[in-house]
Amino acid sequence: MKNRLKLLRVERGWTQEQLGQALGVSRQAVIALETERHDPSLDLAYRIAAVFERPGEDIFENPHSG
Amino acid sequence: MLALGKSKTQAGRRYVIRTLAFMGGYLAVNTAAIFGAFDDIRSPVAAWALALVVAAPVAGQIWATLALMKESDEFVRALIAKQFIVSAGVAMALFSAWGFGESYAGAPHAQGWLIYPLFWAVYGVVSPFIRSSR
Repeated sequence: MKNRLKLLRVERGWTQEQLGQALGVSRQAVIALETERHDPSLDLAYRIAAVFERPGEDIFENPHSG
Repeated sequence: MLALGKSKTQAGRRYVIRTLAFMGGYLAVNTAAIFGAFDDIRSPVAAWALALVVAAPVAGQIWATLALMKESDEFVRALIAKQFIVSAGVAMALFSAWGFGESYAGAPHAQGWLIYPLFWAVYGVVSPFIRSSR
């Protein structure tokens, strides 16, 4: 799923490790999310939205919307 | 026996310790067998007990992997599951093909316990190519 995770993380000056700790996932998972090799569960997507204090639509591109 | 790179997390470290313990037992019993430690066993009960003792670490290793999945995040869990399914499928297909080769083509007999090292050999080959949870 296309997303702006890397951009948002870099804007805040966070490392992948730091973001992983904030989300409660491994650095490996953060890398997979940033490189679109993993589509997050709804729970993880909500956690990401909470960490960045943005609605999910600002972070993830809805593949089902025209 | 997943990649030791997973040992960076607490769950990964626990997995490595459990793996070393189970595989240490597996190798110790097999090494002892190779050097004739059990050659004098005549009782079928004792022979079956030995077979079960050698196989027990295999079950233990599966438990260690399930524990790692339970303690990991959703991406690592999905990745391990995918790598295991592909490896088990390929190993079963290869071993089944060999078994039918024995039945129909006179291939030399392969011991059933070879499925376990075969599974890990396949795992080592395929897992670097499985990097996506999709």
